Amino acid sequence: MTRMFKDVGQDIDDGKGMTYQKLDKGRSDSKRNSAADPMGPNSEIGRKLRQYYDELISEEVPDRFSQLLNQLQQQEQQGSTAKED
Amino acid sequence: MSASPSFRDGLLAAVPTLRAFAVSLAKNADRADDLVQETLVKAWDKQDSFQPGTNLKAWLFTILRNEFYSQMRKRRREVEDSDGSITARLSIHPAQDGTSDLNDFRRALELLPEDQREAIILIGASGFSYEEAAEICGCAVGTIKSRVSRARSRLQEILAISGESDFGPDPVTAQVTNSAAVL
Repeated sequence: MTRMFKDVGQDIDDGKGMTYQKLDKGRSDSKRNSAADPMGPNSEIGRKLRQYYDELISEEVPDRFSQLLNQLQQQEQQGSTAKED
Repeated sequence: MSASPSFRDGLLAAVPTLRAFAVSLAKNADRADDLVQETLVKAWDKQDSFQPGTNLKAWLFTILRNEFYSQMRKRRREVEDSDGSITARLSIHPAQDGTSDLNDFRRALELLPEDQREAIILIGASGFSYEEAAEICGCAVGTIKSRVSRARSRLQEILAISGESDFGPDPVTAQVTNSAAVL
């Protein structure tokens, strides 16, 4: 569990979106013949699902989110200096 | 503890996948972005409860999902709504140039009940394990498995149907009615 969690966390740091593909690859390698993967590596539904999600992930991210995070960080920094005064 | 720059970077890096999950849940791009914004604010406030080295993405998905369902409960209380608005919302899509094939799929996905839709997205698209998905949804692994399998057969059913008719609001409405009867 911990190992998996770490792997996924690192995927996020890779940046651009495509995290699930890497994970999927690992999964289909290890479970190719197993019925455990409900989508199945070659399933039509699975393929469309990833295509659908892939398209969403590759959309351009509006600036508002990085602006928001900058704001939150600034507020926090101001908050901590205010406390020290 | 003050925010390390890497926490901020981690959140920012997760935004594309959070948006994709949010759109899948909310079926509406504007609402999805509001959800993501709320998720980022909540995550920021709760950052001390995040354990570095654990799965940031799963943690964020959990926050976003909780936010989605609490907003939905609120809305349901506010608007004991007629069926009309639900059907209308179904036909609103973010402007995207997908193939018509993909549009069909998107529509089919939207016809699934929330719990099935999120399960199949988490497992089939977001790349989570059953265990992680169960943790995100706060339910048993077996529950996730059965939701995924129901979602899958439902999608196959809908997609087989939708090939026979044009996709206007009418077949969608028809499918909503059908899905209400079947589910």
